[in-house]
Amino acid sequence: MSSRTDKPAVHSAAWRISLWATLAFTCGTIVVFIFLDRFVASDIQRRSDAWLSGEVGVLGDVAERTPNDALYNRVVGEVAELASREVPNRAVSQETPNDSVFFIQTGSNGALKLWVGDGDGQAHLQAIQAHTFDVGKPLSIRVRGYAIPFRVATDTVNGGGRVYLGLSERDQRRVVFNLRMRFFVLWLSLVLLGFAIVFFTSRRTLSHVRNITEAASHIGESDLKMRVPTTRGNDEIAQLALTLNRMLDRIENSVHQLHTITDSLAHDLRSPLTAIRGKLETSLAQRDADQAEPIVSAIEELDRLTDFLNKSLDVAEAKADALRLHRSTIDLNELLRAMIDLYEPSMNDKGIHIRLQSAGPIHIVGDEGLIHRMVANLFDNELKHLPPDCSVCVSLQQAGDFARLILLDNGTGFDPEVRAQLFTKPVKGRHSSGHGLGLAFVDAVVRAHAGAITAENNEDGGAKVVLTLPLASGHSARTQTAHPG
Amino acid sequence: MRLLVVEDEHDIQSFLQQALSEAGYAVHLARDGKTAEGLAKGNAYDILIVDLGLPDQDGINLITRLRQIGVHAPVLILSARRSVDDRVRGLEQGGDDYLTKPFALAELLARLRNLLKRNAPQGSELTKLRVQDLELDLLRREATRSGQTLQLTPQEFVLLEYLCRNAGRVVTRSMILDKVWGMRIQPDTNVVDVHIYRLRGKVDGNGQWPLIRTLRGVGYVLQDR
Repeated sequence: MSSRTDKPAVHSAAWRISLWATLAFTCGTIVVFIFLDRFVASDIQRRSDAWLSGEVGVLGDVAERTPNDALYNRVVGEVAELASREVPNRAVSQETPNDSVFFIQTGSNGALKLWVGDGDGQAHLQAIQAHTFDVGKPLSIRVRGYAIPFRVATDTVNGGGRVYLGLSERDQRRVVFNLRMRFFVLWLSLVLLGFAIVFFTSRRTLSHVRNITEAASHIGESDLKMRVPTTRGNDEIAQLALTLNRMLDRIENSVHQLHTITDSLAHDLRSPLTAIRGKLETSLAQRDADQAEPIVSAIEELDRLTDFLNKSLDVAEAKADALRLHRSTIDLNELLRAMIDLYEPSMNDKGIHIRLQSAGPIHIVGDEGLIHRMVANLFDNELKHLPPDCSVCVSLQQAGDFARLILLDNGTGFDPEVRAQLFTKPVKGRHSSGHGLGLAFVDAVVRAHAGAITAENNEDGGAKVVLTLPLASGHSARTQTAHPG
Repeated sequence: MRLLVVEDEHDIQSFLQQALSEAGYAVHLARDGKTAEGLAKGNAYDILIVDLGLPDQDGINLITRLRQIGVHAPVLILSARRSVDDRVRGLEQGGDDYLTKPFALAELLARLRNLLKRNAPQGSELTKLRVQDLELDLLRREATRSGQTLQLTPQEFVLLEYLCRNAGRVVTRSMILDKVWGMRIQPDTNVVDVHIYRLRGKVDGNGQWPLIRTLRGVGYVLQDR
């Protein structure tokens, strides 16, 4: 598996999508639950209010009809006591003295006439007297000494005075609290379940995209015949794969066409070149040395033309990312040593010194012939443009997953007028004798190997060319484990 | 040596016939695959030169056909295609060789010789090479001229050995780069010439009869007489 699939889930698109979807889902469900909570709480309130109004009516009746004798308090007190046992939403195992209900009867002067409940009822009476009550409209009042307010309903008694029935909101609150807890647990599990579902489905969907990306990244590096994996079905992902594959068909077609054109162009030019060269060579054998000169220079011109043709076609193909590579594993260190051995005598003849700085073998996968020609181009360049008594330093190092090749000289550097377009098109310095394809060809080869190249002038004026080429995968992994960090 | 050239370009045909005849081959010519097949059936050729772009069929197909009808002589493929076809590489592994157009005659002749040598029964491997008064000891990697030991670098020895093995025959710069350095490059500078000058300085330096001759526009030759 590549590193792309190993990265933590929190960096994946599936994670982001799930987070946003969950956020939206959470907000939505919170709104729904708040609405439900309001509805349920007000319903409970309504029910307990109805009970209070009903009971206070009954108690008022009882208070009216019971003869105002010695048994009055007893009878009304019993009835009120009984009523308090029928409190709605009451907790089942409530053994503590019943302080959730109280009953007050006041006389016409507002003084306490009868008290049924916990304590002496003075605090309750004070709280009631602080409010104005309408019959049939229960109110919430706070009583000193009680943390939870009471819901109090009232009724008038014939002959002046009132009866009040108060019910602590404790049980009602407990019910609402229990309901809210259940809502919360339900909501939390819904949100988590939603997140999990969205995360896993989007990850599954996006894994197809990842497979496509991975397959697509290999296409073109090796060859254009590969296609991205297609999935069954007709969804967007399948469409993406199909579209990509159709696009690849077209690209492969164009590249094939380009190959056909360059091949036939090469063929059409090469056949006459071969014939001319052959004729010149056979006629050369029949001449004396002094007559041979024009023929010899014609042959040399012809070879230059052939070389130009080859390089132009290579550059053209590479610009279209269509250079055909015959890959093998190459030790750049060894290759550079061999090439420096080849070039050193010519450079020394011109008074140029060349040296290699390298830490040892560095392996890349590439087309050996092209890499040879690329390095030859770079060295030819130095040889042609560097003034005598200069030096060239070739250094080879490993930088991450790349091999870095730096060519540094202390000559006059690149002409500012040609530097900007060194790699883009054939360029020639004012005093150059080449056809100017050299660096464009180097760039083409580097690009074909998925590398990068920069050229600049050093602070001291010399030219600096930096090439990076990807390491052979097995070799980079091995070196990395050998030198962690 | 009987040689069949299968090539449709008249100009190339004619100079090949001339050059190959001069080199001592008995040359037959075929313009297309069909003629070539007929000629190959009726004659036993020692070697064949086949151009890939024939008017009636692909050169590779022709070679496959010839192999099927029992022609086992080595084939030198001429290709005008730029990069070497994978199918040609396959054939190359089977003992055949290819040459991209345009080519130097010296290289064509050298490759023909190589192919014929590969096919011939192998003699015992030489341990010494001798060209006139130059002697190379291949085991001790030592070269002497007129009994005087030459101070050669290992690379120079390989270069001289290559010239000696082809003594009397022209070798081109690209042949030297290919066989001595193992690189198929075409430098537009004089890198090979400088190596040759240095070698010449050591081999012909003492006012002796010059052995290494430059043929301008063609290459070099180590003279054997």
